[in-house]
Amino acid sequence: MNVIEIKSLTKIYNSSEVQVKAVNGIDINVKEGEFTAVVGPSGSGKTTFLNMLGGLDKPTSGEVKIGGVDIWSLTSRQLIDFRMNNIGFVFQSYNLIPVLTAGENVEFIMQLQGKPKKERAQRTKELLEAVGIGDRINSRPSKLSGGQQQRVAVARALASKPEFILADEPTANLDSKATTSLLELMSNMNKKYNTTFIFATHDQRVMDKARRIITIEDGKILKDEYFNRD
Amino acid sequence: MLNYVIIAWRNLWRNPRRTLITSASVFFGVFFAIMMTSIQKGSFENMIENMARFYSGYIQIQEKEFMNTPGVNNSFELSPEYKTVINNNQSVTSSTKRVETFALASNGENSYPSFIIGIEPDKEDLKSGLSEHLIKGSYINTNSVNLMVGHVLAENLNIDTGDSLILLGQGYHGVTAAGIYEVQGIFDFPLPALNKQIIYMDIANAQEFASIQNRITSNIIMVESTDNIEEVINELKQVNDKDTNVYTWQELMPELLNLIEGKESSSAMVKTLLFMIIGFGVWATIMMMMHERKRELGVMIAIGFQKSKLLLLVLIESALIGIIGVVSGLIISFPVFYYLFHNPIVVTGKMAETYESMGFEAKIAFSINPEIFYNPAIIVLVIFMAVSLYQVFFIAGLNVVKSLKS
Ligand SMILES: Nc1ncnc2c1ncn2[C@@H]1O[C@H](COP(=O)(O)OP(=O)(O)OP(=O)(O)O)[C@@H](O)[C@H]1O
Ligand SMILES: [Mg+2]
Repeated sequence: MNVIEIKSLTKIYNSSEVQVKAVNGIDINVKEGEFTAVVGPSGSGKTTFLNMLGGLDKPTSGEVKIGGVDIWSLTSRQLIDFRMNNIGFVFQSYNLIPVLTAGENVEFIMQLQGKPKKERAQRTKELLEAVGIGDRINSRPSKLSGGQQQRVAVARALASKPEFILADEPTANLDSKATTSLLELMSNMNKKYNTTFIFATHDQRVMDKARRIITIEDGKILKDEYFNRD
Repeated sequence: MLNYVIIAWRNLWRNPRRTLITSASVFFGVFFAIMMTSIQKGSFENMIENMARFYSGYIQIQEKEFMNTPGVNNSFELSPEYKTVINNNQSVTSSTKRVETFALASNGENSYPSFIIGIEPDKEDLKSGLSEHLIKGSYINTNSVNLMVGHVLAENLNIDTGDSLILLGQGYHGVTAAGIYEVQGIFDFPLPALNKQIIYMDIANAQEFASIQNRITSNIIMVESTDNIEEVINELKQVNDKDTNVYTWQELMPELLNLIEGKESSSAMVKTLLFMIIGFGVWATIMMMMHERKRELGVMIAIGFQKSKLLLLVLIESALIGIIGVVSGLIISFPVFYYLFHNPIVVTGKMAETYESMGFEAKIAFSINPEIFYNPAIIVLVIFMAVSLYQVFFIAGLNVVKSLKS
């Protein structure tokens, strides 16, 4: 089943002199449970693509359907609620709210969703244990390493039970050990909860884990390949 | 359970120094504004009370020409209708008759202009505690033919109790008013101006001196509190007496009112400046708090925070800064000024002279009028509302994609 359906997605930036076609007519579908990397050289349009897909950046033209909903026809308030309920985000760094503990960061998104307290506490504990930092539930982000922070971010992204998780270069600020273990974690979560992951990366080690690699250049899809990693 | 107040509170203490400095500036602003106003209002209230007690009263009934042309020619007899109103109104605490006239007071070579006030000695004492201000001699009785003299005037005339004083003036319709009287008491008022001029005598004695029989120049009415003035005035004005007018202390002492208004407007300017400086400080803090968290706020919107909720959060933050400042300002200032209200600071030495030369009693009186306390709180509220506008525009204009790049 398609989680995401993208039709002729285009983003054009009109800077003072030149017109930049950051994303230039992308058509693609993403199925439930995919573990997909978006790769390409710097400036190829990965971030712009992911932001439009995640309901953060409005396309110049084209369509993004998530679970059948044309997200760019929603009002901005509806879109924010849509993101809360349907999309998990992991950014490059500083993902977490610094004044909340690891546990609170994970719980808060469920509180926004109006989930009951008991369910929130239970799921927070479960997720933090699943990402391997159950013992740091009461630590503030500043007391965690970069890798640990990204794990909390993954747990938070999973907390709202989204349709899929978007991660724009989640390992860019991590050393190779933390990169490998975060990738393993995401891959495990993908298998355990059947959550769809889409991530942009430059990193060969990250690409090696992906089961589908979409290569972008100049805002266009150059290659779209599937791999069997088992 | 996480709520916005807790998150806002934690956000404030990410930079404790900045939060404390900003709250402290609000605190000091509130405290100083209260102090300034309390001292100023206190000294005015004190002066008004002294003037009203010893001189003008809160309300006066006068012959209608007396205001423009004071003198015994414009005297009158209090009508029974007035007496009925005065006797029946619960807010009236006292009503006394007076005869006021000017005279030249002489002792040998020394002559000074003086202001004669004929009083009903017992009632006047009840009203103003006049006898407590005697520094020498004794208080005059009803129907006494002796005088009581302000101490500065007595020194200038070089007279003491038991000495005789010649008074020379003009009586009713040009009749010469003259007499020789014994000084029975010397007094010292908290109103320096009065000490230089005033001579008290019994009202019958004054009526005889000025040849005005039973007529008086004014009837002075005291009320429970200044809040009752209007009500009593309105009732007195119902009395249909074409020959007289009813005045408030403000109308009787326009110079005092001008002085108060002048001083109040200049101190309002100082306070405006004070709060403008504080306002800019608060604004700078809030601006920094917003800008340095731009990315964080962007992430929050990205993951599903409505802007309205985010705005609520940052508004709570700024409100907390203001509340810390205002509440601590009020909590600390109220007992301080409440104490000082009941225990005014007595000024001595050179300072005292300066005070008296300006016509004030030589003490720093404080006021605890409620508006002294809630006005600064309202001003701070307005400042924070203005600063909040900045937060509203900041959040409304926050672009998620741009803030994620920062
Ligand atoms: N706000 C903007 N205004 C104008 N041009 C922009 C803007 N944002 C991105 N671009 C341009 O769009 C193109 C795609 O940028 P994008 O950030 O999507 O690339 P990317 O693949 O994510 O690169 P990187 O690997 O460096 O993150 C680039 O040429 C970039 O300069
Ligand atoms: Mg990018």
